[in-house]
Amino acid sequence: MKKPGAVTFNHNPLLAKGLPVSRPRLVLIGLLLGSITLVARAAYLQGFNNDFLKAKGESRYARVIEIPATRGRITDRNGDIMAVSTPVSSIWAIPPDAKLTPSDTRQLAGLLEMEVEDVSRRLATQGDFVYLKRQLSPDIARRIAELKLPGIHQQREYRRYYPSGEVMAHVLGFTGIDDKGQEGVELAFEGDLAGQPGSRRVIRDRRGQIVEDVESIRGPRDGQDVALAIDVKLQYLAHTALQQAIETHKAKAGAIVVLDVRSGEVLALVNAPTFNPNNRANLSGAQLRNRVLTDIYEPGSTMKPFIAALALERGFVKAETVINTDPGRITIGRATISDVKRHGPLTVAQVIQKSSNVGTVRMAQHFAPDEMWRMFDSLGFGSPLGLGFPGEVGGRLRAAKTWKPIEQATMSFGHGISATLMQMAHAYLVFARDGELLPLTLTRVSETPTGAKQVFSVATARKMREILELATGPGGTAPKAQVPGYRVAGKTGTAHKLEGGRYTNKYISSFVGFAPVSDPRIVVAVMIDEPTAGKHYGGTVAAPVFSRVTEGALRALGVAPDAPLVPLQVAGGNGEKRETPRGNM
Amino acid sequence: MRRLAGILPFSGAGGANRSPEAGRAVERLMRPSDTIRELDPLVIWAAVGLLMLGLVMVFSSSIAISEGSRFTRNQAHFFLIRHAIFVSVGVGVGLLAFRFSMRQWQQFAPWLFLFGTLLLVLVLMPGIGREVNGAQRWLNLGPINLQPSELMKIFAVLYAADYTVRKLPDMGSFRRGFMPMAAVIILVGFLLLKEPDFGAFVVITCIAFGVLFLGGINVRAFILLAIVAVIGFIVLIWLSPYRRDRMFGFMDPWQDAFGKGYQLSHALIAFGRGEWFGVGLGASVEKLFYLPEAHTDFLLAVIAEELGFVGVVVVIVLFAVLIQRAFSIGREAIKLERYFPGLVAMGIGLWLGVQSFINMGVNMGLLPTKGLTLPLMSFGGSAIVANCLAIAILLRVDWEVRQLKRGVTV
Repeated sequence: MKKPGAVTFNHNPLLAKGLPVSRPRLVLIGLLLGSITLVARAAYLQGFNNDFLKAKGESRYARVIEIPATRGRITDRNGDIMAVSTPVSSIWAIPPDAKLTPSDTRQLAGLLEMEVEDVSRRLATQGDFVYLKRQLSPDIARRIAELKLPGIHQQREYRRYYPSGEVMAHVLGFTGIDDKGQEGVELAFEGDLAGQPGSRRVIRDRRGQIVEDVESIRGPRDGQDVALAIDVKLQYLAHTALQQAIETHKAKAGAIVVLDVRSGEVLALVNAPTFNPNNRANLSGAQLRNRVLTDIYEPGSTMKPFIAALALERGFVKAETVINTDPGRITIGRATISDVKRHGPLTVAQVIQKSSNVGTVRMAQHFAPDEMWRMFDSLGFGSPLGLGFPGEVGGRLRAAKTWKPIEQATMSFGHGISATLMQMAHAYLVFARDGELLPLTLTRVSETPTGAKQVFSVATARKMREILELATGPGGTAPKAQVPGYRVAGKTGTAHKLEGGRYTNKYISSFVGFAPVSDPRIVVAVMIDEPTAGKHYGGTVAAPVFSRVTEGALRALGVAPDAPLVPLQVAGGNGEKRETPRGNM
Repeated sequence: MRRLAGILPFSGAGGANRSPEAGRAVERLMRPSDTIRELDPLVIWAAVGLLMLGLVMVFSSSIAISEGSRFTRNQAHFFLIRHAIFVSVGVGVGLLAFRFSMRQWQQFAPWLFLFGTLLLVLVLMPGIGREVNGAQRWLNLGPINLQPSELMKIFAVLYAADYTVRKLPDMGSFRRGFMPMAAVIILVGFLLLKEPDFGAFVVITCIAFGVLFLGGINVRAFILLAIVAVIGFIVLIWLSPYRRDRMFGFMDPWQDAFGKGYQLSHALIAFGRGEWFGVGLGASVEKLFYLPEAHTDFLLAVIAEELGFVGVVVVIVLFAVLIQRAFSIGREAIKLERYFPGLVAMGIGLWLGVQSFINMGVNMGLLPTKGLTLPLMSFGGSAIVANCLAIAILLRVDWEVRQLKRGVTV
């Protein structure tokens, strides 16, 4: 047909042959069968096998993501914030997506304050996730977001900030990078402080952006605030006094505890050396140690008042009973215990005032080991105080039946027994509280806690207060503990340090006392480890620190002065004794 | 009378406006108020429907990638604007093509095919052809890139129809009827595989031999050839485990879901997520960087996710309507002894049918992944223009048949 001038109509060979009619039909049917196949396949995929496919899809782009909960704040007893979580951003990348130009990388590295090679190296890692830098300030994070770099993402996080810095460092401890408590109160109260992060199921596109909220699985619950018993004013005061004492006496370390007599609350707890919890690079173990709770030491003469109290309680002596300490030493078995100087006959009160080892041992010899052990035990020695503080230890108090006479004797003046400074301060509550011992608490309490137990009678405790006041008076070991306007009481301690089982010529100077004597309000314990500037007696090293802290604390707490207007203080009286155990222990 | 019409020479030379009737039909077509009685409404509506749905879905599927890519300068409308321009150009080219009679198309056919082959040679020349993702398929013509293999498909339809009509007396002969065409296809196929564009090779081979088959080629020779091809194919695949893996990997995309099966597994997930009625227009998750080539080869997957089974069936039905109409128009033409137009119409139906089936089959995991777009819908300038050209020629055949039935000579 199309070829012009070919053949006539009647003789057209095409007509004879014709175009097959059945073939187009065959092809068309084939194609339409294809269409039907497609419809059937689509119905199978979309109507019947869709659950399987949807599950596959979910596994690729549905994610359960966490809704971060804010960690609770830590405040002092007056509500001042000691630890708070501030929002920060962490920058992460999907390395295969992060195809950055060299100038982009430079810009990014500049904002991250990282080396360009470091950023490039991280971006070249295998896998789908790598942190570039964590905990960046929101301001920098915003500027990085504005660069709109492919494959670079941000994650909102919280960083813990401690406004009081090194002053509260040991009490508060710190959190790790994942906002979980690692030390101190942060760890002790993790359960309260930690929020319950919520979670929700979302769909993300391949670049990590959330495109759809599928469901909220659980709402976030913010952590609870914890109000500490610490009074930040007292804490600063103690911190400053301690730092100064460490410097003056060129000491290795030191610690101070202030307790509230009425409630058993820990009002201040400081250690030296300390650290800045906001910048924890280059920390040493010595800085991190909370010596008040985790280090035990031999308390030395600060133990003597308990022996005297037990003797008074048993009634075989009175305060005025005279004990002969001549000739200034006493031999038990093959060991000899001596006083610094020969005191001659001393009353029980004077034994404590002048800190006579011989006088104390004479009293201790009246007790059965078991009896002394029970007293130590009821004062809380030998077992942890149960403050819940991480790493808290209980000191060493051996079972009574293993005691040899010489051991019982040295224990009476604080050697061969060890305790933490907190345990010492705690035990002194019995004198300050009319013979009653209270459990301690790190958190603020609204009412006096239950669980108080009577260790000594009221009369014994009151008598002991008078005796301990003498120690800070003229003729006592620690007149430098005096506080203008207040009557104070306490006991010095100067102990040789035990290193590798042998006593060395290194000292721990301490002072534990309370004030005001007429109605005790606070117990203050001071410990200075290895003073090397020449002086090492508790009365000259630790007592002035006690005086300074107690004065500031009483004024800060608004305690009425109870001392007569005439100043008692007369300088002098350095009748401190060296309590050197001479026995072979 | 018909014969007279057939051999009557056209007056004037060149140009589009030789036939006043065709011109009037075009004008009527552009005035929507007039009822169209001289053209098959189903072809027009199906084609327009696919084009418009394609435009919407190309936008929907490309919005995220164009917004998130530096290549597109973060313009969300990047692909939409380009696709709209392609469709406009395609409709313009179609209106122009409609003005040429089938007689003229038959005269053009060998030359167009030669021209297309020349372009396929050009595209392989280093420095002239442009390479994207390892395939050298594009000719850079200033602002636009031309993809000769797409144009080659319509040229192949015209050429195969012309060849068949010219060789009608030889259709029974294997040597004279079949061999020349086979030689031509081997040559063109070689050029296409060199790019490589395996999809276009399959489609053009189907068109060429399909039209030969429709034109009455010796069926025994045809079947023999088909058997040889199938055996050769099987041997080729069995000899190479690598090729076998690639060939049959599509059957279980979950085996290597993050490697070779990545694209297909995401396409299937899109189907599954769509369920019966879809997640809603614009709500696809798969298009958010998971499914590669969402706006081109895997457009149907996005349709399946957003519009569901219903949307997929609408697309399949519209294609089925087009194919059925094409064969029906072709049959009418052949009844009127208009063999060339008839074979062209069927060839166009075959083309659209084969390509859409392969594309949709790939999307649904019925066929191994091959780079073929969905005709009239997927993003791609050359393909859209070539498709519009095909629809215009199909309408021209229909119009001429209707004119003939009324006794009007064309």
